[in-house]
Amino acid sequence: MSIATDIPVEGAQIACSEECIMRPGNTNCGGCGMSVALTMIGRILKEESEKATFVIPACCGIVTAGGYPTSAYNAPVLGATFGSSPAFATGYATVRDLNEDPGQVINWAGDGGTYDIGMATLSAAAERNENFMYMCYDNEIYGNTGGQRSSATPVGARTSTTPYGKNASKKDIVSIMAAHGIPYAATLSVAHPEDFATKLKKACHMKGFRFMLIHSPCPTGWKSDPAETVNLVRIAVRSGLFPLYEVFDGKRYRVNDAPDGTDPSEYYQGQRRFPSGAVDLDVVRTECKENSERIMRCAECWPAAEDE
Amino acid sequence: MTLEVVTGNHAAGYALSAAGEANRDARGICAGAYPITPQTEIIEYARKYKFTKGRIVPVESEHSAMGVCIGASMAGARSFTASAANGLSYMTENIFTAGYYRLPIVLVCVNRTMGPPWNIWADQGDALLMRDASLIQFFCETNQEVADTILLSFRLAEDHRILMPALVSMDAFIMSHTLMNTDLPEQEQVDQYLPNLDLPHVLTHEHPVCIGGLAWPQETLSMRVDTHEAFERIPEVYDECRAEFQKIFGRDVGGPFTTFETEDADTIFITSGSIATTTRELIKARRKAGEKIGMIKVKMYRPFPEEGLLDACKNAKKVGVLDRNYAGGLGGLFWHDFRAAAQGKRDDLLIQDYLIGVCGGDVTPDLIEEVFDDLSQRVEADKPVWKGIEL
Amino acid sequence: MIEIRIHGRGGQGGVTLAKLIGTTRYLLGESVQAFGVYAAERSGAPLQAFCRCDTQPIVNRNMIYEPDHIVVLDPTLIGPAITTGLKPGGWILINIDQPPEVFVEKYPGYRIATIDATAIARKYKLGTVSVPIVNTALLGAVAKILDFTLDQVNGALEHIGFVGANIDAAEEAYQLVKTAQPTTEADFVHPEVPHPRIPGLVEGNTGILPRIKTGDWATQQPHRENKVAPCNHICPAGNNVQGFLERLAKEDVDGALEILLDTTPFPSICGRVCPAPCMEVCNRIQLDEGVNVRDMERYAGDHGNAKVTPASDRKEHLAVIGSGPAGLSAVYQLRKLGYQVTLFEGGKELGGLLRTGIPPYRLPRDVLDAEIQRILDLEVTFTTNHRVDKAGLVDLANGFDAVLVATGLQELRDLRLGIDDDQAIMQGIDFLDLANTKDIRVDDEDVVVVGGGNTAFDAARSSLRLGAKSVRVVYRRTIEEMPAIAEEIDQGIEEGLQIDYLTLPISATPAENGYSITCRKMELGEPDESGRRRPVEIEGSDFEIHADRVLLALGQSPEVSIFPEGTEVHEGDSLIGTLQTPVFAVGDLATNDGTVTAAIGSGRRAAFHIHHTFTGEQLLAPPHEESDVVGADLMSMHLFEKNGRHDGYTIPAEERRFTYDEVHQGLPDLDEARRCLSCGVCNECDKCVTYCPEGVLKRVGHEFHFDYSYCKGCGVCVAECPRNVIYMSQI
Repeated sequence: MSIATDIPVEGAQIACSEECIMRPGNTNCGGCGMSVALTMIGRILKEESEKATFVIPACCGIVTAGGYPTSAYNAPVLGATFGSSPAFATGYATVRDLNEDPGQVINWAGDGGTYDIGMATLSAAAERNENFMYMCYDNEIYGNTGGQRSSATPVGARTSTTPYGKNASKKDIVSIMAAHGIPYAATLSVAHPEDFATKLKKACHMKGFRFMLIHSPCPTGWKSDPAETVNLVRIAVRSGLFPLYEVFDGKRYRVNDAPDGTDPSEYYQGQRRFPSGAVDLDVVRTECKENSERIMRCAECWPAAEDE
Repeated sequence: MTLEVVTGNHAAGYALSAAGEANRDARGICAGAYPITPQTEIIEYARKYKFTKGRIVPVESEHSAMGVCIGASMAGARSFTASAANGLSYMTENIFTAGYYRLPIVLVCVNRTMGPPWNIWADQGDALLMRDASLIQFFCETNQEVADTILLSFRLAEDHRILMPALVSMDAFIMSHTLMNTDLPEQEQVDQYLPNLDLPHVLTHEHPVCIGGLAWPQETLSMRVDTHEAFERIPEVYDECRAEFQKIFGRDVGGPFTTFETEDADTIFITSGSIATTTRELIKARRKAGEKIGMIKVKMYRPFPEEGLLDACKNAKKVGVLDRNYAGGLGGLFWHDFRAAAQGKRDDLLIQDYLIGVCGGDVTPDLIEEVFDDLSQRVEADKPVWKGIEL
Repeated sequence: MIEIRIHGRGGQGGVTLAKLIGTTRYLLGESVQAFGVYAAERSGAPLQAFCRCDTQPIVNRNMIYEPDHIVVLDPTLIGPAITTGLKPGGWILINIDQPPEVFVEKYPGYRIATIDATAIARKYKLGTVSVPIVNTALLGAVAKILDFTLDQVNGALEHIGFVGANIDAAEEAYQLVKTAQPTTEADFVHPEVPHPRIPGLVEGNTGILPRIKTGDWATQQPHRENKVAPCNHICPAGNNVQGFLERLAKEDVDGALEILLDTTPFPSICGRVCPAPCMEVCNRIQLDEGVNVRDMERYAGDHGNAKVTPASDRKEHLAVIGSGPAGLSAVYQLRKLGYQVTLFEGGKELGGLLRTGIPPYRLPRDVLDAEIQRILDLEVTFTTNHRVDKAGLVDLANGFDAVLVATGLQELRDLRLGIDDDQAIMQGIDFLDLANTKDIRVDDEDVVVVGGGNTAFDAARSSLRLGAKSVRVVYRRTIEEMPAIAEEIDQGIEEGLQIDYLTLPISATPAENGYSITCRKMELGEPDESGRRRPVEIEGSDFEIHADRVLLALGQSPEVSIFPEGTEVHEGDSLIGTLQTPVFAVGDLATNDGTVTAAIGSGRRAAFHIHHTFTGEQLLAPPHEESDVVGADLMSMHLFEKNGRHDGYTIPAEERRFTYDEVHQGLPDLDEARRCLSCGVCNECDKCVTYCPEGVLKRVGHEFHFDYSYCKGCGVCVAECPRNVIYMSQI
């Protein structure tokens, strides 16, 4: 996955406005991590069998479309109530399958709709192994309402409802989802486009419930430089804060990118949401290390098949 | 025709499933289902049904049950579900969504007292919680009416002039769990009555719009006015659906409301649900005794057929409303709506509310006789009167 | 009642400004309202905020449609629409670094005030550089034009908890705001509030394209500009190093060769013998190891196919004297430009020092011949064994339209050490000439080579191959100062050379066999004019070494006897003003650089200079600005992964030291080219396109387009460009 080779990402050159899955003129803030992810998704999904229909609960992702009747999405979008988008997606995907329609149903949700209010519905859809992709763009905050804490907010982060920094740790959503035994659970990074594309394509050609978590900086909520959005994700991956890995059927693991020793402090320095002293970097380092080791041990003991 | 003796839940399950099956040559049927007493048998029936093209999804909550229905309906399938009481209230957000998305989903409510405390018996308060959502509401009197009204609801809801969900209610246990003679229609008849669902705003790649994003006040207001105008078209479309029903099934599904002995009546009782049957029989007796009383059974609660009701009461001096529901701090909602309808048009009319059978109490003939006696002696209206409790 | 409407952007603090104005009046006991219009647009989107103040209770709960005054937070919001409903004579306060008079005509009938609140906010570090929070400065300006006192403003700021720099910013704006009066009357138009009915969800939802021109949100815009890679900057031949490596990285070997052949006729030769200063300045050294440019140039030269086509023939006929690298480079470029060229070579064969000075184990003769043949294929007339002297030069000047002298460094430094035997002591360069044609043997001899340049090591290593028992290189400085290519030194040591650093031979006395050379130890003193530390003899440190043969490689200097007495030999203009025909010096003769690559550059420059002389057309690109050279500090090194250099196969010392087989075998594939970071030059890696959150950056073919109508100016493309090609400008 060396980017030193600088081989152009396939399809990048046809990135003109009409073909984007999220068109320019959307309402997202500049440097929004979700925007990067959506733009990438649009370039990756090109086959008839990959044409996306989005189901999106209340979150920045639905507001992205802009005011009625405009749509910044170059795809059908079904807005869902905050807590039940996986149910909406279940209904839509079921009818698609009953009628053998081509295309992918992508349940596109923020961390609030995933970790918090949508958790029960998400878990139920996973348990039923519904046939759609669930992609959570995790900006670790209720961005759409102005930046309140969610259970995805990392410890120490200041939000409008944790004005002195959050005490509790972030939920390990991938482990939770993998524990459902779903065919596919993975983490995706917009700073690693080849890996992103590989996983998305792979997920597209699987059946059943596929869960993908996308680390998605929110410059407004994180008080970070919009230009640094991709770099923050890169640091998170390299330092082990956001390890890139896959879990198949809840029991076979693959690590896609092992941490390279980058210190997590670089990640924290780039964001003003962490008040000084709220994050004990030694604890973070230990947790990064332990978490990475845990995943790597899983991958050693229960490796994914080569062709997975 | 298949004459059967079935429960209300069975009748509802049969009608819903037959309607779903009738869409097999189009986009099929898909629904979410979640149990709650006393409607559970309805979704059990649907789960057992072998659809040619369909799936009933056993979800984790009523909220998601309606969520599945919305997703399925938006994809062009026919859809329905059933609930009651707290289940219905838990579903509320998505019921509103289905209405605002103009989706012809048919929802059956087995009217049960809102809890806690946990009370499973008949009370219309759960369905009436939905009175402000954009959906059609019916209250049924018999198992036959349940089955017939469900079929009519699909046809009405799916008409391009209407396009909104419908809620069909029946009383808990009194209908849901009571065997009654019911004429269940053949599938061919249902197929004939319900053409393939053709949702004009079905969400496809040919129509890649964003449903349910942001809309500013003017845009949202325009949508509300659209819905209101659709409500206003319902009486006309209802009549067409009713006539077609008569043609295919050979019986009348009944109008938005049904009058009995109202023409010359000076006292009229407004009822709904199973209470209407008891009331009708008592009125027959009173008539023989020379009292000029009559009654109206309200079937369609939304849109509220206020002009028709006022017209039926044109010769009356007193109207008693029998409400099997209680809206906190107010009283009965049928009374509330009728009183509002009469305001400025029949200010001379004495309109009295009777809260009867609320929280599932059995509505005996004696209780209704007390209501008749109370109203006959009244010279002016008072606050709602609680019945079935010693105060 | 005063009603103020504020036009700003999400994140600039417009609503807070409304609250600050309101608070100022509240503290005076007035009724106030301050509020914003909330919608879904995010950071950077245009929005409005409102403030009402009245001495009476305010009962109006609407937005403000007919304001008394307006405040504009951002110069990019200025447009005709902002004055909608503004009452005649009202103030328009604009945050801009221009005097108010600029706007008097644009907004007739209104009073104008301007203040550079952005500069004030930046000065007091309010907000961030990209989104400065200008509201407190604007409060000061509002106070001035609406006759609030500074004390009132400070009171409001303190009340709301804005202290410190905010108060300073407000005070500064209060002092600096400039105003202008209207010159005409305003036309007031009562604003209409439309209430259209919009087609609904069922039939009216067409999913039309978004209409928000998010380019209006931006305060900065990205642009692309290629800069200069250090390798390209330093290459004496003027090669486009980054360019040919990029072609190789994309497996376009022919394209790579084409780029090289633009500037040099000798990629296969330089790919073997170039000292490669590019590899010393390679930014990749800061990441892991520099790119092996030399072997990649060799790969392109050896494996590429590219046809060089001369321009149509020109009438001018030129003479070139000397067929070393400079002469051949000049011939090559001149032929490409269409000039007729006749080449005069004093030796038996073409190639000059390339042939006589560089041993075949470093530069195989077939490689040399092939590259010379490529030049000859351009229809060059040449004669060999034709040495030109002073008279000959005048003859040539009379017969040709211009003469280029590229005779190189023929004058050799000598050091006889008192030895008479011309076989026992000889110039290394003469030894190499014999050695390269294998006309000499040194079996069982102890050979001492004096010097530290490439000639010294070529002579020393050739000696090993020709049977020497031992070879010592005696050099008066240290390895740090040695001019020879590092690889040559290393390979020589591997092959068994002994090197005596800081050693100066003083004299020789005949011994039983051969000579005893007296050497003296040296130490390094102060730097000399070349910048190298001058070696200083250490008294009393003499020692003896044995030599059967001494080879001298002490350096060469130009041989200028061909020119009239006193001619100052230099590059560029004609040397001999007395002749009708211009005469130019080129290569080592003119520059004394002593490398093939410098000679190539010199030859090319000379050709372009001649072309300019004849046609006035300047083909030589101006030298790069130092500020355009992208050093490692400007590269985003964190975007590259470490990946060590590929060094290719070198025959082991024990096998090669007895043979003339080519020592270094080059690289078998193009992986090394992919290590090039392409510093400062877009190589279409498409990272900017890939990461652009909005998809407003696209590449069609080799063209990149920014759609500024929608670009929000987030700067991700700048941050993610690994090579400093994209930069931001403020709008």
